Amino acid sequence: MSSTKAQTARKAALKGTQGQKVKKVRTTTAFRLPKTLRLARTPKYVRKAAPRFAKLDQYSVLKQPLNTETAMKKIEDNNTLVFLVDVRANKHQIKDAVKKLYDVDAAKINTLIRPDGIKKAYIRLPADVDALDVANKIGFI
Amino acid sequence: MAKVKVANLREKPQAELTKTLEQYRRELMDLKVQQVAGAAAAKSSKIRDVRRNVARVLTVLTQQARSEVRSQYAGKKYAPKDLRPKKTRALRRALTKSELSRKTLRQQKKEANFPIREFAIKA
Repeated sequence: MSSTKAQTARKAALKGTQGQKVKKVRTTTAFRLPKTLRLARTPKYVRKAAPRFAKLDQYSVLKQPLNTETAMKKIEDNNTLVFLVDVRANKHQIKDAVKKLYDVDAAKINTLIRPDGIKKAYIRLPADVDALDVANKIGFI
Repeated sequence: MAKVKVANLREKPQAELTKTLEQYRRELMDLKVQQVAGAAAAKSSKIRDVRRNVARVLTVLTQQARSEVRSQYAGKKYAPKDLRPKKTRALRRALTKSELSRKTLRQQKKEANFPIREFAIKA
């Protein structure tokens, strides 16, 4: 609808010709941090050239099995294997390592740190697996 | 098994190298188990070779990875800091050779117009 001269004059008289300032409605007295644009990082160079390979991988976790008399007893009586293990390894890592390297599931794992600073892990095998067989397969009987 | 030749390792691709690494680490594990079980002297010396082979493969792997990154950033202004020359902290912040050799226009003109003359006396 095109405004006639009279209508524009009416508008000018009532509202002025410059345009009105729009004041933002503030619903609280507090001035909170306004939301601004947050850009993602675009680094100019990668910080580390080549990422380090995992230092504590499955091969590093298990160090060697124990074949002392008490360890042998554990194999026969309690169906557990006794391993010396890296000190930084936790039970989850030990379980994964045994699974990956010897293809055996562990029922439960108990660990202790020997007085000489080396971690010992008692790896209990489930009832359907014979610890003696596994020990023979690994080769340390 | 003898020492692996690094020249042979270098021409292998990365996937093959990781497989070789796994092989050696398996062997190392088996050797350690045998040592516990009471092995012959030959095995005891073998374990050393295998350990060194593992180190060789890992060295080649990291060298390959780093050289790849280096070629990516070749010619660019910013490179990863561990690829830049290490030197010493002070040397890295020192003036470059070209910056040291810069002369004012005044000095350039002086040197051009009044060079150090060398005379020789005829004997």
